[in-house]
Amino acid sequence: MSDESRQNILNRLRIQKDLEKFTAGALVRHPNLEDLIANIAALERSEQDQIYRGTELLARSNPELAAHFVAQAPAAFHAMGSDGAQEWLDSAIEIFDHRGLGFAVDYLQDVNSFAEAYAGRHAQCAFDQASVFLRHFVRGLGGRELRIATDEETFTDTEALYLPESFSVFPEAEQNFTLYKLTAVHLWAQTWYGTWRYQVLEKLLRHFDTDVVLPIFNRLECIRLDACLARELPGVAREMKAFGGHDDDEEQVWQTWRTLASVLEQRDASAEDSLQLITAFIGAPLPPLKLYQGEMFAGKVRQAMFARIEREKAAFQRAMEDMRNEGDGPEGVGADAAQKPLVDIQPTDNQTESDLNLSMQVSVDGKLQQLPEHLKDLVGSILQDFGEIPDQHMDRMDLGEYNDDLQAQSGDGADEAAADLSAEGAFTYREWDCVRNRFREAFCTLRELPVPPGDESFVTETLEKHRGLMKSIKKTFEAVLGESKLQRRQSDGDDIDLDALIEAYADFTQGREMSEYLYTRYRNQERNIAVMFMVDMSGSTLGWVNDAERESLVLLCEALELLGDRYAIYGFSGRTNKRCEVYKIKEFEEPYSLEVRQRISGIRPKAYTRMGVAIRHLGHLLHQTRARTKLLITLSDGRPEDYGGYKGKYGIEDTRHALLESRQGGIHSFCITIDNEAQEYLPHMYGPANYAVIDEVQKLPYKVADIYRRLTT
Amino acid sequence: MSTTAIRTAHNLVTREPYYQPVGNEVQVFAAAYHNQLPVLLKGPTGCGKTRFIEYMAWTLKRPMVTVACHDDLTASDLIGRYLVKGGETVWVDGPLTGAVRHGSICYLDEVVEARKDTSVVIHPLCDDRRLLPIEKLGEVLSAPPEFCLAISYNPGYQSVLKDLKQSTRQRFVALEFNYPNAELEQTIIEKESGIDAAIARQLVKFGHMTRNLKGSGLDEGASTRLLVNAAKLMVSDVAPVIATDAAIAQALTDDTDMLKAVHELSRSIF
Repeated sequence: MSDESRQNILNRLRIQKDLEKFTAGALVRHPNLEDLIANIAALERSEQDQIYRGTELLARSNPELAAHFVAQAPAAFHAMGSDGAQEWLDSAIEIFDHRGLGFAVDYLQDVNSFAEAYAGRHAQCAFDQASVFLRHFVRGLGGRELRIATDEETFTDTEALYLPESFSVFPEAEQNFTLYKLTAVHLWAQTWYGTWRYQVLEKLLRHFDTDVVLPIFNRLECIRLDACLARELPGVAREMKAFGGHDDDEEQVWQTWRTLASVLEQRDASAEDSLQLITAFIGAPLPPLKLYQGEMFAGKVRQAMFARIEREKAAFQRAMEDMRNEGDGPEGVGADAAQKPLVDIQPTDNQTESDLNLSMQVSVDGKLQQLPEHLKDLVGSILQDFGEIPDQHMDRMDLGEYNDDLQAQSGDGADEAAADLSAEGAFTYREWDCVRNRFREAFCTLRELPVPPGDESFVTETLEKHRGLMKSIKKTFEAVLGESKLQRRQSDGDDIDLDALIEAYADFTQGREMSEYLYTRYRNQERNIAVMFMVDMSGSTLGWVNDAERESLVLLCEALELLGDRYAIYGFSGRTNKRCEVYKIKEFEEPYSLEVRQRISGIRPKAYTRMGVAIRHLGHLLHQTRARTKLLITLSDGRPEDYGGYKGKYGIEDTRHALLESRQGGIHSFCITIDNEAQEYLPHMYGPANYAVIDEVQKLPYKVADIYRRLTT
Repeated sequence: MSTTAIRTAHNLVTREPYYQPVGNEVQVFAAAYHNQLPVLLKGPTGCGKTRFIEYMAWTLKRPMVTVACHDDLTASDLIGRYLVKGGETVWVDGPLTGAVRHGSICYLDEVVEARKDTSVVIHPLCDDRRLLPIEKLGEVLSAPPEFCLAISYNPGYQSVLKDLKQSTRQRFVALEFNYPNAELEQTIIEKESGIDAAIARQLVKFGHMTRNLKGSGLDEGASTRLLVNAAKLMVSDVAPVIATDAAIAQALTDDTDMLKAVHELSRSIF
């Protein structure tokens, strides 16, 4: 007998003895013990150890159960590897605990079905695993920002891409992930290459029975989009070829369609060409959808698109109007429309073919200018819908609506009577009237009101909920704090400042007095920052936004306590100019006490958003504190708006003016908002780099602390 | 291998740097130079600010001094200091003083990074006095007409501590820089790296994709400089996706999801 086989036999004996000991002899009753032991001996050493550990663990509960585990273990390791086997063991223990020995034994014996489910689960790619990636990826591809969401159907309504909860078509998780990507690209391509142009959708809905033709249109568009993608994104097209997934027969049908519709594969083909081909294909056998291909729902597209068109048209007209007004100087606001410069928008001359990356330019009175940065997304989105800027968009705004926007504040008698507030304890502030182009002195009356304390448990719950995040926030803030700086030219310190010494020596040899500041010393940089948080408490924050605001404040306070920055928190709201209100949550000198926490928890939505007066008041408070850097951060959910004409341009201009005033007082302003349309007005109000738009409310707590850190380091 | 030490004050740009004018910046800079006005260049990183100054130095036939500013850069780093040499003290000019003496173009890169006390020396030099006080020497240098001060600044940084003060910025003629349009950027990439037009076009497209991500996870999109770097790697036979990963994706972000997205975007193009 060779050494090796002797070793093997010894090995098996050892395993058998060990396992029998663990199972208190229960294993002996196994019908085919010898084979079982041989199988176990053939496993890796680490896997054997895992079996030992599992057996020992189970035997403590029940030796019989342990014996059944040993009996099935080799099969389990073969089918699922050690991770899967561990999962199988863990759930067996759970079943034993809850349902007893019988069920647990059955479960262990049925290792094959567990292995099957395990394989399925691990090959599958869930939406959550892909969604963040997909959002970045689709954003990178270009065009209007699309939401990524799940739905039972796979389709796009041109605002969002709806994808399945998970993909498990392929045996490998990686492949299923790729399928997610391809599906998203294909839906994106519909929005990018004009499947849902306004004109196309109109014709589709007007001339056809959508139930019948949409499946045909979908396939024809698939041919066209595949060709577009092959030209523009060859890498994706390669993967699509590999992942389309059809047997030869089905591929034959696609091939027939492609031959008949070859015109769609040409460079200048558009969705209109697909429309024209539809009638020719009615009644023809439909090829099956490609794996990455979604369904089409014209109704949903129509709904989303029409809402967007209205919204964007208004925003575009507003922007054009602003440009006209900017063009004609300060006295121009009241001037006749005829005297205002002619603003037009047109594609730049050197366009390349059907490139949707159209660069547009603006002409003001015939002079060409670059399209302002903040309008690019808006114009891009309009181009995606129409392929051009439609003439209606260039019309001036309906006069009625426009006038309403710019109506001067009227001292509404009824409101004033209702307000019936004494001037006691009230502050008065002026307001900028952009129609008259001057201030309305002492126009706004503002009061500081207390916030009724809320439930303090909100704070503990928030801290609990965001425990992981809090840890990382603290770490990054500590890093800021720990940034020690070498201070030169100190009168005493850790080390000699060579530069200073040499200079001093130079002075000395020249007969001048030697400096005594010759040392360097490390010291933490002193932060000399006072920050005022101005929290939007308008009615529109009801629900999610309010919760997110409060959570952000809790996290922020914890972080700020660490930094030692001086900070104050005030909420603001109000209804009409006579009833502007700020709510004191924390003053500068106030410690972060139980009361402050209760007040944060007690923040509730109130009325409207009259921003200008709040900025003036809080800016004033901030001005009175002593700090080298003063920062006013607004947390908001939308544009300024209040009763009596404080909206649209009027509100924005007053707010902008208030910010300019505080800036003159040396206060930096920054705005964090969750309003997706904020791009239109925030750059105008706060300046191009002084705001951040957060696209999902849930992220607010995550982001606010991070933005604050970035702002102040 | 040989290295050449360059006397900073005499750094004449001898070969014409490749620069593709985008608007009328060349004309404006030349006019400012001839009128002895200092110039402020605004724009994101890697869009060609430094190259532009080199080009102007070449065009105007002036030596050029570049100072990369950092947060420990003090006024005496710019002006100069006494050094001890063999028991004697010797005054050594700083780069700014050198530039004033020789009538060079002095370029302070990312000036907001420098310590606040540098404004003390910049201010009198930037208005119509054009004086550089050297306190330690008890001298005041008057800048010759050939001297020009240019500073750069990236307005996209959101830190309130790194903002250019009004009193400083209002002394400058300001030029705004941005990434060039697609065609021009393609030409630049071709010229700089020697890559063929088709790949350069794809690189530009990739650059635009990353710029779409600005504000949605990336602080900045890929600059023209990064695109050129990637192209250079490709010319040296690095596979395109690997080149974009190394030269662009990894340079832009550390976030794994974002890296994966940028990687896949690159794979979808090449």
